[in-house]
Amino acid sequence: MSTVLQARDLTRYYDVAQGFFKPAAQVKALNGVSFELTAGKTLAVVGESGCGKSTLARQLTLIEPPTAGSLLLEGQDAATASKAELKAMRTKVQMVFQNPYASLNPRQKIGTQLGEPLEINTSLSASEREERVRAMMTRVGLRPEHYYRYPHMFSGGQRQRIAIARAMMLNPRIVVADEPTSALDVSIQAQVLNLFMDLQEEFNTAYVFISHNLAVVEHVADELMVMYLGRAVEVGAKEKIYSRPLHPYTQALLSATPSIHPEDRRIKIKIHGELPSPLNPPSGCTFHKRCPFANERCQQEVPELRALDERMIACHHAENINS
Amino acid sequence: MSLLEIKNLSVEFGSQHNPFRAVEGLDLTVEQGEIVGIVGESGSGKSVTMMAMMGLLEGQGRIVADTLQFDGKDLLTISARERRKIVGKDIAMIFQDPMTSLNPSYTVGYQIMEVLKIHQGLRGAALKQRALELMEMVEIPAAASRLAAYPHQLSGGMSQRVVIAMAIACSPKLLIADEPTTALDVTIQAQIMDLLVNLQKSQNMALIMITHDLAVVAEVAHKVAVMYAGQVAEMAKVPGIFRKPAHPYTEALLKSIPEHSKGAHRLSTLAGIVPGQYDRPSGCLLSPRCPYVQDKCKAQRPGLTAIEGGVVRCHYPITAKEA
Repeated sequence: MSTVLQARDLTRYYDVAQGFFKPAAQVKALNGVSFELTAGKTLAVVGESGCGKSTLARQLTLIEPPTAGSLLLEGQDAATASKAELKAMRTKVQMVFQNPYASLNPRQKIGTQLGEPLEINTSLSASEREERVRAMMTRVGLRPEHYYRYPHMFSGGQRQRIAIARAMMLNPRIVVADEPTSALDVSIQAQVLNLFMDLQEEFNTAYVFISHNLAVVEHVADELMVMYLGRAVEVGAKEKIYSRPLHPYTQALLSATPSIHPEDRRIKIKIHGELPSPLNPPSGCTFHKRCPFANERCQQEVPELRALDERMIACHHAENINS
Repeated sequence: MSLLEIKNLSVEFGSQHNPFRAVEGLDLTVEQGEIVGIVGESGSGKSVTMMAMMGLLEGQGRIVADTLQFDGKDLLTISARERRKIVGKDIAMIFQDPMTSLNPSYTVGYQIMEVLKIHQGLRGAALKQRALELMEMVEIPAAASRLAAYPHQLSGGMSQRVVIAMAIACSPKLLIADEPTTALDVTIQAQIMDLLVNLQKSQNMALIMITHDLAVVAEVAHKVAVMYAGQVAEMAKVPGIFRKPAHPYTEALLKSIPEHSKGAHRLSTLAGIVPGQYDRPSGCLLSPRCPYVQDKCKAQRPGLTAIEGGVVRCHYPITAKEA
């Protein structure tokens, strides 16, 4: 068991212009998130729009520096690393995006696109690069003749395979997948999820799997982190959280997920209202306006993450509402 | 008499010499107050069927059918003028993306009132009163002030509520919802589904739900039609179709949902993709992908045969044995 990534109190604020005469407002997109990632395991990040999932992905892939907090990649701190070190670190974290129609360059052949990471980051000769690309293409289930084709000649599922192959080219330690199957049909989604699992087994890659689909997450995840408005509200092993979710938001998410066999579902809680604006989040617990169990304390005091029943949870009333 | 009766509907695109049949020999009946789910992957002809029925394919597709009747009126021979009196009034439709189905240049109040002006001839205070009632029916908070809001000022869930308000403005007999919740977050999706089903009950409308998500229809529909490459593969009552699917494609779809393979490492998948314009097989359309394929399937297209609670298009439907 080796830890490949440690995030401590990762925080990212963005300044948002409010108009010419008003001072800029601050969006607290990510508000102190901590977790560890183990080689060969999958951490699933779950939450709705605006909860900071994608901001988290931008931090992990070192696209942006965090406002506060630290990120350790195999023990090396991203904040103190030099430019050359950062470049080396970036090869260890790769990303797969949601929409395979937008993430591939329409003017480049597949062979060229898959070879590009090698061309930039390694000193391999052209023929060695081609050999590696072809090996990876076979690995993800593409045929050899696809090497000279353009993205528009592929279906959505095949494009996502190409995007996965590109992410795996440098044999990264971590792959961050941002909603990788939400643009795909169910039968294709199953094929792509299987590919993810097979590659993980073969290369011992750690995944950060960002999704809002709890059924998919249940299949792929080892660890689960549920986020709401920039904070983690419940973090722990998948089995624990799915068998007995403790945070009201996790419960609401689980009961809102449609199911083929609705009679199997134990928890039924409904939450009202919309997600609040991250520009103007509610005081105290950010969930209190939608929470059926909220009281005065929730309006004033921000709940801290604390250990309870083999997981971390941020709720004042976790014991009372689940007893 | 059924509210909607479609018999042997085909829709063709392209030239006369080289036509592409997007929908082929489709039969569908919808009774008053019934919820029907139409499920299928991209390109299976779900949306084209509904567009054809509503006359929205004018000039693009060629529509052929034995019967296309709505509420006793023949939609094939009806004049464009008369069709306009039905569409938007007795038949209403909700589209997938609420952001693009509202006009960004007009307030939502104006857009709701436009429907009422055209179809019900309301004017003045009565018009405004009815618009307000509709906004309240779809549970938009602070409805009076929201009448003056522009679509960009509303969230996705709120916009979808406005679209629903417009659709139910004239108390339609049939409401068609084309992927109404796909673009929304899970908790909002659950709210919108509740709203649709409640409205369906209180107004006694028939509701056709088009979706690629089996779980969404499993919870609400009375009857489900599974479409594959322009044909109905299976149509049966809920929950029978989910408990004992008769068509191999229905079975494969159900199995490829992560919910089905809880605890398993790999998801069961259906190899390949939906056949396109040029690679439709001569026999059963599923034959290249079907796990139970036999010689007869490759040679001869199956017709629809009656089974318990519905119909299935397969030479060798899965019977008796537990799926």
